Amino acid sequence: MSKFSTVSETKCQEKTVHQDDIKTAFVEILEEVANVNRTAVTGDHRLREDLGIDSLSLIDVAVAAEDTFGIRIPDEDLEGFQTVSDALGYIRHASVTA
Amino acid sequence: MIASMSRQRLRIAVIGAGIGGLTLAIALRQRGLAAKVFEQASELNEIGAAVALSANSTRELRRLGVLDAITAVSTEPTELIYRDWRDGHRIAAYPVRDNIQYQKRFGAPFHGVHRADLQRILSDALGGVGLHLGHRLTNLVDHGDTIGLEFANGRFAQADLVIGADGVRSVVRRFVTGGEDAVYSGTSAFRGIVPADRLPSLPNSQALQFWMGPNAHLLHYAIGCRGEAVNFLAAVEGPAVWPHADQWLTEVEPGEALAAFKGWHPAVTEMVGAVEHKVRWGLFSVRPLLTWHRGRALLLGDAAHAMLPHHGQGANTTIEDAVTLAELLAGASPSELEAVAGRYQALRRARTRKIQRSSRVTNDLLHLPDGPALAERNRRVSRFPEDFGWIHQFDALRSVSKADQVAGLAEAPQLE
Repeated sequence: MSKFSTVSETKCQEKTVHQDDIKTAFVEILEEVANVNRTAVTGDHRLREDLGIDSLSLIDVAVAAEDTFGIRIPDEDLEGFQTVSDALGYIRHASVTA
Repeated sequence: MIASMSRQRLRIAVIGAGIGGLTLAIALRQRGLAAKVFEQASELNEIGAAVALSANSTRELRRLGVLDAITAVSTEPTELIYRDWRDGHRIAAYPVRDNIQYQKRFGAPFHGVHRADLQRILSDALGGVGLHLGHRLTNLVDHGDTIGLEFANGRFAQADLVIGADGVRSVVRRFVTGGEDAVYSGTSAFRGIVPADRLPSLPNSQALQFWMGPNAHLLHYAIGCRGEAVNFLAAVEGPAVWPHADQWLTEVEPGEALAAFKGWHPAVTEMVGAVEHKVRWGLFSVRPLLTWHRGRALLLGDAAHAMLPHHGQGANTTIEDAVTLAELLAGASPSELEAVAGRYQALRRARTRKIQRSSRVTNDLLHLPDGPALAERNRRVSRFPEDFGWIHQFDALRSVSKADQVAGLAEAPQLE
């Protein structure tokens, strides 16, 4: 039994670290492909209105995120992203189910 | 060239002798690489009617040494004009050939050319070298370092690299992604070519024009050495469900095409009515793929990113793909092919996805009903050079050298 709980704890720790990694990596993508100043980014920021990412740059972001996280982000889902948190939530969910 | 001769010679198989496959073979040969091109048809026939070549492809065709031959059989539109569906008034217009405006802005010309002429010029440039007609690919077998090709005629081949330039219904893509990625758009089109002198109601017959109306639009431009014919694409919403799983043409009743344009300007009904429409074309796209390659097989053109035709960019982006891939392959050894495939995908995926999306959004813009949304549409089409210049000013070859420079900061310089 103890062996199972150890595995479970390890998995949970990995998941926490993984989620922090996702945020860091995503903000790096915003900086690299959409010229966003990473120090100013919070989860509440709206991608278009606050960070000034237009629809074309958002595709650069999506393609870079697909490559980085190994997930697919179809256009119709991408168009539903309003805030940085929306994007992070989607990537986390897709990364878990991928 | 010296580098490629000193390395192991690559065996490259190209599937499909359309615009993409032929352009790739020419671009590879220019770089000292030979390719075998396998085409399922027993002779080279054009599909579709004409193609509009924009600066992003004509600059590459010039580098490949075929632009003069294309210019000789093409027409450069006088203007790009957007018109109202009913009364035909000009909503927005931009000079193209007039004042050499387009060339000055984008660095290369815009040409309307018959597909058969373009295909003939490309295949003449290749001189039939390495072209294998009557070879329909049925299967690919991954052997790790090589890939086996099986054809319906019973022949087999081995290659270090297979490039699927085999269109929206690509066999190679099924090998790469394992699924069906072509998606029906819910829109379809009627096409045709009409002698210009049979279109007395048409204003500016030498211009490229969009007639925009409820649930439909008509796009046309002149082709031929003197603009003597007008090629058109009349796109309509529907049918909601495409009736065939494996083909993009479906038969129509007589008068069906014209009925879709009832009440439109006489220039439109005259053009659509000048052709006996037996079929309509389903407009399909390929959903953005996560990967363009699997092992030694990779995708090019419509096979990778088929798009709606509303920016006229299907052939142009295919030519960009071909030049990009040829440039990346120049000097590559067999052991570097997977890295080359990765670089190719990295250079092409975002750009083609942007144009795919923009073409889809443009469909909606062109098909608005009369009403308040038209003001925003008119504002958008009035900003064409600002909003869509990025498509035309792109330089595929330069995109490779720019990426090389960026990578060069971290990698050792190339031997050459």
